[in-house]
Amino acid sequence: MKKNLKGELEILSQHLEDLTDYTKSLWQFLPLALCSLSPRGLILEVNQAFETLSLWPISEISGKPLNSILSEKETSEIIDQTLKKKSLSNQETNLLTKKGEEIAVAAYSRVREDREGNIIGFFLALVDIRESKKFRGELEQRVNEKTRELREKMEELEKTKTSLLNILEDVEEARRKAEEERDKTQAIITNFADGLLVFDKGNNLTLINPQVEVFFDIKSEDLIGRPIFELSTFPTLRPLINLIGEEIKGVFRKELLIKENLTLEVSTIPMISGEERLGTLVTLRDVTREKMIERMKTEFVSLAAHQLRTPLSAIKWTLRMLLDGDLGAITEEQRDFIEKTYKSNERMTGLINDLLDVTRIEEGRYLYKPTLTNIEPIVQFVINSYKEEIKRKNLKLEFKKPKEKLPEVKVDVEKIRLALDNLLSNAIRYTPTDGEITVSLRLAKKEIEFSVKDTGVGIPKDQQIRVFTKFFRGANVIRLETEGSGLGLFIAKNIIEAHGGRIWFKSEEGKGSTFFFTLPIKKEFEKFLREF
Amino acid sequence: MGKKILLVEDEEIMISLLERKLSQEGYEILVARDGAEGLEVMKKTKLDLILLDIIMPRMGGFEVMEEMNKDKELKKIPVIIISNSGQPVELDRAQKLGAKDWLIKTEFDPKEVLDKVVKQIGK
Repeated sequence: MKKNLKGELEILSQHLEDLTDYTKSLWQFLPLALCSLSPRGLILEVNQAFETLSLWPISEISGKPLNSILSEKETSEIIDQTLKKKSLSNQETNLLTKKGEEIAVAAYSRVREDREGNIIGFFLALVDIRESKKFRGELEQRVNEKTRELREKMEELEKTKTSLLNILEDVEEARRKAEEERDKTQAIITNFADGLLVFDKGNNLTLINPQVEVFFDIKSEDLIGRPIFELSTFPTLRPLINLIGEEIKGVFRKELLIKENLTLEVSTIPMISGEERLGTLVTLRDVTREKMIERMKTEFVSLAAHQLRTPLSAIKWTLRMLLDGDLGAITEEQRDFIEKTYKSNERMTGLINDLLDVTRIEEGRYLYKPTLTNIEPIVQFVINSYKEEIKRKNLKLEFKKPKEKLPEVKVDVEKIRLALDNLLSNAIRYTPTDGEITVSLRLAKKEIEFSVKDTGVGIPKDQQIRVFTKFFRGANVIRLETEGSGLGLFIAKNIIEAHGGRIWFKSEEGKGSTFFFTLPIKKEFEKFLREF
Repeated sequence: MGKKILLVEDEEIMISLLERKLSQEGYEILVARDGAEGLEVMKKTKLDLILLDIIMPRMGGFEVMEEMNKDKELKKIPVIIISNSGQPVELDRAQKLGAKDWLIKTEFDPKEVLDKVVKQIGK
């Protein structure tokens, strides 16, 4: 029996030894940091993982209180909780390693009890939570960052929204203003007395106002958007398109007869913004009334002049017959008066003739049947007609004839004679006694140049610009001599220009004047001649 | 009897003056105060010369000449135009219609009219 008991005991102790080995191996093997503590928190034993984590060897840590390696505050918490609730899990605390480094850990614990249920100590496991904590921290930081970003974005959006609203308000304001401007412009265009056509830079019609519709008896909707060359398919528009051309050339105040009672004055105006050409504006001014008034005025003057000529002729003839003794003998005194009256009457006739010439110039029917002729005899003829006057005033007149024979020119002889007469009579009239007059004729390139130079009173500088205008008379000349229609130079200018020539002068008040004109000798001049 | 001249003119004073001037020189002057009257005189009387105004009531000078040109006899009578305006166009037309001469009232005087008459038909 004794022997059996002893054998059983040996087996049991063998088993116990095996179990202890198993427990120790497991203890050492577990990768979780474990330690066994006394109920009061003294470290009894630690496993390999604990040593690795805390860097404390068992020899140095055994018997030390737990709070020597864990935070004081959490240590008492861990011990209290464990004793009270018998276990504890996931209590975060810091482990102080041998190197003095603090490691974030989560503590788990469980009490050990004997058979009677008395607490004999507890196990404590520490899980390294540095990585997860770091990750969590990072996560949190990222969340915070994102939140901040979002908040900033939100704020920004809020700002953007506000400014967008402001912009929208501004845009609305601008739109309202633009609309107002557009309405104003539209009203101006619509109510403008002149007809307006707007072409874009591709010469397509983009706008017309109601006046244009009335002028041409057309509808806006039939025309808008069409290129200019298509517009000539509308018969009423054809004369306008012919005038301005398909490329819309520069036209300034050209008169255009549209129909019986409608004359338009056409101008084209390029619309330019900076350097860019935006298109062309064509303006049409109704000048029908002006034309009519102008015609009436010319007709009136013409009629009046014609009507005046008949009584003037009657007076002339009567006086002439009295002077010639056809109506009986007259006394010397009577003769003297009648002769003066006769001269006055002749002057009046001259004035009326000037007025008639002007009306003919204005009606555009002036030159008549130009013939090819030598100009020199015409000049000589005019000079000869002033012989007596030149003698009476003791003027020295020189005619500088050309060295070579001049080519013939095609002129209306009567009109050229009149122009020469007007120039020469001015020179003689406004040159004081004993003065000098030089007439010259020369060939200059493709034209013949005539000039008459005098030592007369000259033309005041400030009045020179008006010399060739109708009814002009120099202020100094009016003082000198009250007579004169002021039409002579106007007529001369029109005669010369109708022949394709040029007329100009040089003058200095008190010293004299020189008047020049040219007549073209090339056959080209024929195109200038206007025959009526 | 002097040579017969028909004066077709509507202006009384011109008639008086020319009548005086020409009859003084021995011409016999007949007067018509418009073109139509002038044509009637021409048909009744044998004339040596006609002095013809252009602008007249009822019938003007040009129409008178056109009518004369339709008649073989009347066509032969020399015509001197006495015009008020002397427009080249008018003178041109007068020449084409066969006028022998022309004069413009404001530019000529009775003495010159006489000269032109003498030139055409002698004294």
